[in-house]
Amino acid sequence: MLIRGIKSKPVYTPLAPDLGGRTHLLVGFGVGAEPLTRLMADCTLAGVTKASRRLLYVTDKSASMAMHEMMRHADAGEVQLFKDSASLLSEFETILKASIMGTRLYVAGPEAFMGLVMRIAARFNLNRDEIRAEECGSPARRVHCIHCRAATEDVTTNIVQCVDCQRWLVVRDHYSRRLAAYMGVMIDAEVPGELPPIEEVFV
Amino acid sequence: MSHSHTFAVTVTAITQVTPLIKHFVLKAADGAQMPSFSGGSHVVVVMKGATRVYRNPYSLLSSPNDLSAYEIAVRRADQSRGGSVFMHDHVTVGMTLQIAHPVNLFQLDKLALKHVLFAGGVGITAIAAQLEDLKMGAVPYELHYSVRAPDHAAFADRLLARHGDRVRIYHDSAEHRIDIEGLVAAQPLGTHVYVCGPTPMIGRVLASARAAGWAESHIHWEQFSAPPVGDPFDVFLKKSNVKVSVLPDQSLLEAIEDAGVDAPYLCRGGVCGECKCRVLEVDGVLVHNDHYLSPEEKASGTLIMPCVSRAHGKNLVLDL
Amino acid sequence: MSAVFKTDETFRDDFKYSNSPRAIRRFPLPFVEDKYMYSVNIEPHVPGPKDSITEFQFDVDEHYIGECRDREIVLKEDPLRYQALPHMMSAQWDVLELLMNHMSKDYPEQFSLSKQGNRWSWHNKLLNIKNEFTFGDPSTLPREPLDYITRQAQGDFVVMDQRDGDFYIEAGMVTTPADWSMDFDMGMSFKEWHGPVPLAHELNVFDRALKFLLNLRINEPVRRLNWTMTVNPRLDTSPEFYPRWGSDRASVTADNVADKAHIRVELQGLWRLPRSNAMLFGIRCYLISIRELATIPKWARRTHRTLRDLHPALVDYKGLTRYRDHVVNWLAPLDDGSPTTSGNAPE
Ligand code: HEM
Ligand code: FES
Repeated sequence: MLIRGIKSKPVYTPLAPDLGGRTHLLVGFGVGAEPLTRLMADCTLAGVTKASRRLLYVTDKSASMAMHEMMRHADAGEVQLFKDSASLLSEFETILKASIMGTRLYVAGPEAFMGLVMRIAARFNLNRDEIRAEECGSPARRVHCIHCRAATEDVTTNIVQCVDCQRWLVVRDHYSRRLAAYMGVMIDAEVPGELPPIEEVFV
Repeated sequence: MSHSHTFAVTVTAITQVTPLIKHFVLKAADGAQMPSFSGGSHVVVVMKGATRVYRNPYSLLSSPNDLSAYEIAVRRADQSRGGSVFMHDHVTVGMTLQIAHPVNLFQLDKLALKHVLFAGGVGITAIAAQLEDLKMGAVPYELHYSVRAPDHAAFADRLLARHGDRVRIYHDSAEHRIDIEGLVAAQPLGTHVYVCGPTPMIGRVLASARAAGWAESHIHWEQFSAPPVGDPFDVFLKKSNVKVSVLPDQSLLEAIEDAGVDAPYLCRGGVCGECKCRVLEVDGVLVHNDHYLSPEEKASGTLIMPCVSRAHGKNLVLDL
Repeated sequence: MSAVFKTDETFRDDFKYSNSPRAIRRFPLPFVEDKYMYSVNIEPHVPGPKDSITEFQFDVDEHYIGECRDREIVLKEDPLRYQALPHMMSAQWDVLELLMNHMSKDYPEQFSLSKQGNRWSWHNKLLNIKNEFTFGDPSTLPREPLDYITRQAQGDFVVMDQRDGDFYIEAGMVTTPADWSMDFDMGMSFKEWHGPVPLAHELNVFDRALKFLLNLRINEPVRRLNWTMTVNPRLDTSPEFYPRWGSDRASVTADNVADKAHIRVELQGLWRLPRSNAMLFGIRCYLISIRELATIPKWARRTHRTLRDLHPALVDYKGLTRYRDHVVNWLAPLDDGSPTTSGNAPE
């Protein structure tokens, strides 16, 4: 069974303005502030108007207070700050309902957060050529237990105990956009108790 | 690509719908139901003229839900390669033609949250069948159809009767032009746009959608499979010591097989690599249509995949 | 000679499963030479010789009843093994039509279909299922069309929609997977769901296969063989239930290997579906124990050489690490080193 180097693992690239779009929706979490700030500056240079940009941001503690303040006054037509991802995601969905064709989505933050954003975007048929994403911050993973289907959040180790069924799961690179999670498979199913050392790998 | 997969149809009705457009009804020669298809499909019609064989693609305009017959509309294009002229001047009711199974390169996007379709003139054919598919579903759709009054009145009436206010007809005069720019400017997320019609109209729709910020994955226009014909050429098979003529509608591999020479193959589609063959001499150019050889191998001129590739020129010698 | 349908086979617990001499003879050994590596081994799905597994597009054999019964057991425990996204309904009818047409035409004693316009009447005599329904109206069938018909067919079925030059898994019935999860892979693109396969991406196998499949035409299906190994004749080797069957792999010994270890071959067919323009991927699975396989001397020699020399990445991917050596050692005395003829025919 292949564990690492699986091609379904998304590849992210630094954010850059998509000049084809007419409305630019920027969504970030914590340290995602940095790429988004750079993006807004690049947009201005490229002639994308401030009014066409809208920012949604989670003031997570992975970014400093100073950074949060900077985002509050970010260079966008409209700025909304949120205390957690759940409240951002629900506002994001409301915005998409009222959005029109010509919208581009830019996401920045940890993969686990971006996965949830992009999963909502997919419901509105935003395709891969309408979304750009840059990963930054914690590489901790969201892990889908293939046996009981529960999601274990913030996984930083190669092997993790499922929050629900308690099995020890090896975290594979196989990634599902629909579930916004990596696959976790029982590590000692063949010989119970045969566990390799547990190591911090997604840090 | 092998073309042996055609079947016989009988022309059961021909209507002159406009001075330039004829409408044909085709039924299976053996009386069976026509093969199912999806809206937006076309068929390649094979016509045996006196001096050559024509293979022209035509959109299916009949309903995918009525498989008693296929309907196509053919616009006479005097300057074209001759297939449409043949259809207009030589095809009569009762005649048998060969057609290939439908191919769809103009598919409706199944995840769309809304469909906006534009058609002009005879371009309505592919779209008419798509509308039948859309009518069966729950996703909103609207058609904007531009006609040169009153030429296409027959089609327009049929559409209005089937789809009511989801269809708007425009008479192609200055005061009654489709406001394409306005229509693409404010569509909800997840809308897909489709266009089929005269080249300038396709150009306007594409340009307007792009100007309004639409991404390419939401923009669709009709495409046909390239007519599967090439130029005839000759090949000499050195080991077998035979000379083979490859006809326009035959692959190199088929010609080799017809000459009784056993050549390896698996996929017959240019991907598996089984038929790879050394080129010993070539006076002319190799036309590589495969996905197997690397760009360097193709450029070297020493290898060819006979199942899909061909040659242009006087002399080709293969190690077979 | 047609199949004699067994009525009491099981693919779990007591594993009552074996191949008749006829089934062994027609087993599709996937090794056409004495070594194996991934390639774009796609060929037109044209009728093979009489009595072979490709004589018909959908092979129905002696294991039919047991396989359908095993599928019901899996679905009862894990209903998500069948899934279909809402936009795949026309593809569901396409699959139902394709299977019913072929099964009734090719096996008229077992299946019958009559049509009066859209009123269809289907009779499956092997499973004793009879239904009249209106083609195109899901409310007239006891289950969704794809669910209904694939419960009456051998092998797994995956249906993909085609968009933007790619395929996406958006419906399917997968109760006999070789360690992959359709539930996890739902919505993935061709290269994403093939992500876990080693080496093949680098060999450009998937680039080429995808280009070819995008242009696949109605009425011109293609096929390929794929293989792996399974301990015990178990059909459901899903990741979902791996905690139940994983220990099988550690249970193989030098003494039991010939009966426990099975070569599992998948005859994979691909059909362009006409109404939906979607793609059907059929995975028809054949299991043979090493002991049964070795009754054909050429196959014993060839399988010995192929497994002995198999690339380490494939040994790991196919989950053979714990017991490959037992298989190779058991086959070794049957390999006198004499050459084998090319192709997979018994001799
Ligand atoms: C289009 C329909 C197809 C589907 C739905 C499909 C599905 C799959 C799946 C789910 C796997 C298992 C991946 C995992 O470990 O999670 C797999 C493996 C594989 N597929 Fe496909 N496949 C398709 C077509 C093809 C084609 C046309 C090829 C041609 C070369 C191919 C080559 C392979 C290979 C080489 C493997 C590894 C198998 C092994 O070593 O056991 N597949 N496929
Ligand atoms: S036969 Fe497969 S590449 Fe030619």
